[in-house]
Amino acid sequence: MLEPSLQLYGSTYDEVNSMLDELISKSHARYAMIIDLKGFVLLHNKALWAPKPPSLDSLASLVASNYSANTAIAKLLGEDGFKEMVQQGEEIGTYLEELGEHAILVTIFDKSAALGRVKLFTKKAAEDIREVIDKSTEQAPQLTFDSGSTSALLDSFFGDNE
Amino acid sequence: MSTINFSAREINFKIVYYGPGLSGKTTNIKKIYEQVPGEAKGEMVSLATEDERTLFFDFLPLDLGSVNGFKTRFHLYTVPGQVFYNSSRKLILRGVDGIVFVADSDPSRLRANAESLRNLRENLKEYNLSLDEIPYVIQLNKRDLPNALPSEMVRQVLDPTGKVQTYDAIASQFVGVFEPLKGVSKLVLEKLAQTT
Repeated sequence: MLEPSLQLYGSTYDEVNSMLDELISKSHARYAMIIDLKGFVLLHNKALWAPKPPSLDSLASLVASNYSANTAIAKLLGEDGFKEMVQQGEEIGTYLEELGEHAILVTIFDKSAALGRVKLFTKKAAEDIREVIDKSTEQAPQLTFDSGSTSALLDSFFGDNE
Repeated sequence: MSTINFSAREINFKIVYYGPGLSGKTTNIKKIYEQVPGEAKGEMVSLATEDERTLFFDFLPLDLGSVNGFKTRFHLYTVPGQVFYNSSRKLILRGVDGIVFVADSDPSRLRANAESLRNLRENLKEYNLSLDEIPYVIQLNKRDLPNALPSEMVRQVLDPTGKVQTYDAIASQFVGVFEPLKGVSKLVLEKLAQTT
């Protein structure tokens, strides 16, 4: 129940975060994010010059679902998955790379960034991130939850009627 | 399996509204969106057909507040109920933490309710999950129909052992909408508390 999708804590988190920074700077992308296949954002970063991103929750949920749907299409056609997952509009595009079985690296770029450059640096970043995570020996911090505090949370949100 | 983001100090849960076509899954999410204050909800996303039938899913993120310094966030999803959208339903169930099964009280939909529950069990199996381990509740919707089946009869079909929490509802009037969500959230959080 408490297993995270990726081992992203402490120094591993910091290391991966700076890799996203580097990816953004080298590829000239606007945003880079790591999301899990359930559609939750695990880590995100943006270029200093980039405008405020749209709702990250919506973005992550749609990208993860789109990725899952594309993989299902590939399987229907007898492939394990599609090698390239790129979307390009007039102004904005997205490029995806898998990070193991449970997560995806998403790079969002505008027309000022060349697609080839985005692909090159995203692939490189994905490889490096996978390596850092595989080598990580850091243990997940301990969490304690008691039913009293969770009940209070639900009562304050939904009201105390059952 | 909940997603914990230690750096952002967030715990994220995925709740899926399941049930037969037109039983009111999207109506539930829409009513929740209308009732929850702005700061506690994100944008609602609906991937629907032109005639407003769910094509892929509806999505609504909720921020319930903090427990022990961790933000507790629930992402609500609906599945498309129509029989032929099963591939999409399967995808949405990936990583589910809790389920609200929305049943239709219309007598002509009793079989569709049972079939949808059977389909849910089958789809969960693909992820090596079962309804015995996933927190879930049943909402008996459309209780205002003049010919609504007795609640007990629908319960007998969907949950003959009487173990599952069941809630009467008229989702279109925001009656019995928060209660099943609160019920399943409680079960999900209790499960988390047992493992920490």
